[in-house]
Amino acid sequence: MSDSPKRILVLGVGNILYTDEGVGVRVVEHLQERYSFSENVTLMDGGTLGTRLMGPILESDFLIVVDAVLGGDPPGAIYRLTGEDLRKSLAFKDSMHQTDLVDTLIYCGLVGNRPDAVVVGIEPEDYQSMAVELSPTLAKRVEDMAQVVLREIEQAGGSHTPSAA
Amino acid sequence: MSGCKAKTAPVMATPKSNYTGPVVVDPVTRIEGHLRIEVQVENGVVKDVRSSSQLFRGLEIILKGRDPRDAQHFTQRSCGVCTYVHALASTRCVDNAVKVKIPDNARLMRNLVLAAQYMHDHIVHFYHLHALDWVNVANALKADPVKAAKIANSISPRPTTAEGLKAVQDKVAALVKSGQLGIFTNAYFLGGHPAYYLPAEVDLIATAHYLEALHLQVKAARAMAVYGAKNPHTQFTVVGGVTNYEGLKPERFAEFAALYKEVKAFIEQVYIPDLIAVAGFYKDWAGIGAGCKNYLSCGDFADVEGNLDSNWMPPGVIHNADLTKIDKMDGTKITEAIKHSWYKGNSVLHPSKGVTDPQYTSLNDKERYSWMKAPRYDGKPMEVGPLAQVLVAYAKGVPEFKAGVDLVLSKLGVPASALFSTLGRTAARGVECFAIAQKTQGILDQLMANVKKGDTKLYTEWKMPKEAEGVGFVAAPRGHLSHWIKIKKGKIENFQLVVPSTWNLGPRDDKDVMGPVEQALMNTPVADPKRPVEIIRTVHAFDPCIACGVHVIDAKTGEVSKFRVL
Repeated sequence: MSDSPKRILVLGVGNILYTDEGVGVRVVEHLQERYSFSENVTLMDGGTLGTRLMGPILESDFLIVVDAVLGGDPPGAIYRLTGEDLRKSLAFKDSMHQTDLVDTLIYCGLVGNRPDAVVVGIEPEDYQSMAVELSPTLAKRVEDMAQVVLREIEQAGGSHTPSAA
Repeated sequence: MSGCKAKTAPVMATPKSNYTGPVVVDPVTRIEGHLRIEVQVENGVVKDVRSSSQLFRGLEIILKGRDPRDAQHFTQRSCGVCTYVHALASTRCVDNAVKVKIPDNARLMRNLVLAAQYMHDHIVHFYHLHALDWVNVANALKADPVKAAKIANSISPRPTTAEGLKAVQDKVAALVKSGQLGIFTNAYFLGGHPAYYLPAEVDLIATAHYLEALHLQVKAARAMAVYGAKNPHTQFTVVGGVTNYEGLKPERFAEFAALYKEVKAFIEQVYIPDLIAVAGFYKDWAGIGAGCKNYLSCGDFADVEGNLDSNWMPPGVIHNADLTKIDKMDGTKITEAIKHSWYKGNSVLHPSKGVTDPQYTSLNDKERYSWMKAPRYDGKPMEVGPLAQVLVAYAKGVPEFKAGVDLVLSKLGVPASALFSTLGRTAARGVECFAIAQKTQGILDQLMANVKKGDTKLYTEWKMPKEAEGVGFVAAPRGHLSHWIKIKKGKIENFQLVVPSTWNLGPRDDKDVMGPVEQALMNTPVADPKRPVEIIRTVHAFDPCIACGVHVIDAKTGEVSKFRVL
């Protein structure tokens, strides 16, 4: 299918009830509010995961996951993970959730379509306190994260325009 | 359904060991959330149990002072599996507090999404969370595909070919070779295990359907989204009704109907035959894992929203496995004890008066050992979930449930008493799924008939009172769920959730009586203490989902699961 553009899925994941754990969802919301995207780009709030995400993932060629990542750098550090490094992403760990994203991708491969995946991640400051707002450190970084995600979308063959305010 | 009888083997003798000592499973995988099960084994048999939830629940704290209408958006974010049932329970509890009567279409749409959630949950549970406890995928590679196709065609009207099964073997072999065992990591069957009894051919059939169900469950999830607006985390319920005007269009009916038809066919022609075929080899498990034998169901799929007595799946309470006498469910009889939980004090309170005052001690504390409270009904532990819901509906003679139970019992050639067991619990989940699949068409037809008559109402206006109390009950796929709200000055003053897995997996109570899972694990035989699959079978049969019960306290997520034999 080289003549049709890659179907790109941007999946913001995490639990918005635990401060920075919800950063992936917040970045996707930020993008949805400010931009419109070309036909081949889908943005989705994946929330707290589970096998229900298989449908949208199966229908994509390139997956961009936005998530909190425990990479060991100071809070607010932004990462780009591929291949083996995916495990550093909260969503890709043997996590709190029914099936982590690595297993979900293996499932997708078994069923017949496993898209290439990249994680745009950020080191959380606090992912244990119960609050729906991000920590101030991460709130300041949401726009930077959004820009990184936009670049990933462009490189994968998607485009965006600012929404009319 | 197929008219042929599955060939069942004689009842196997359950393998035992003479091991004495502790066995700890921490964390239990293929569930939602973090659960630790600690048992004491004497001479190969479980003699003491502690079910410990390692997560702290703090939802009540975050909800205080907020707008009651927003509760659903918080509660359904607590989990990645049962998101909708929390949205529904929170919405119903505010509906109840503000005394609004929702339109008939809103009731039907809420029921449709609940039905789709059930079908999705139960299929995923049977194949992807529970099957590996009974099915040896590695053994499937040894099967003769021709023989396996013959068996498959004898138990289901849906044709199976040897070529198709051979392709599955190749796929599994490639997965094993690639070293990406992700989904089978720590599977107990690796290297063989005496407690797995299926012939290789049945292992192969189940493995083929494990893969097929991966694809199929996507359709069930999509059916949920047709009326739920999105999945996970639906966005269509509001206090006073629903917002999905799009759902009144013919193309939406058609979309839901097409997905539903496919899911229903899978349940009837794959799930149920597989359940019967696999259960036929594990009849010894009809005598293991009974538990407390008290059952509680609030029922669901109401004819009149908010009136539990109008539920198609009826509410009721069963004491000590007596199906001749079903008590009426009375919400005022629910209490939560905290004597053995990590909270301050030793109170026994009704959820509407509940407090959440955490006080962690340590992992080695034998007295206080869980973040879960211990819910009780009339002072007694109660099992909730598909088995409770099916038993109440069966005892009350609801036709779809009676048909499902009779079918499974007669094919297996076991009496109704076999239902009080780990095997019965897993069979009941299939029966419930089958019954709901039968029921769904009627809900859809009624909604279409209403629209045809010109009734397109989805929402009833209402006013927020200054002060009010309310409760919302949902029979979730995992059982009895209730949300309790106290409104003061138009804001949330107190909000409590009593979730299904707390009923089932909670600790001992103020009288030191064990919770349902703890009781169910007593006297379980353990053949290999390093790979205690027997413990996992019973725990998984309850389909634990405890993320909503609690939240992670230590940052050590991502630990590799391993069993320690101390």
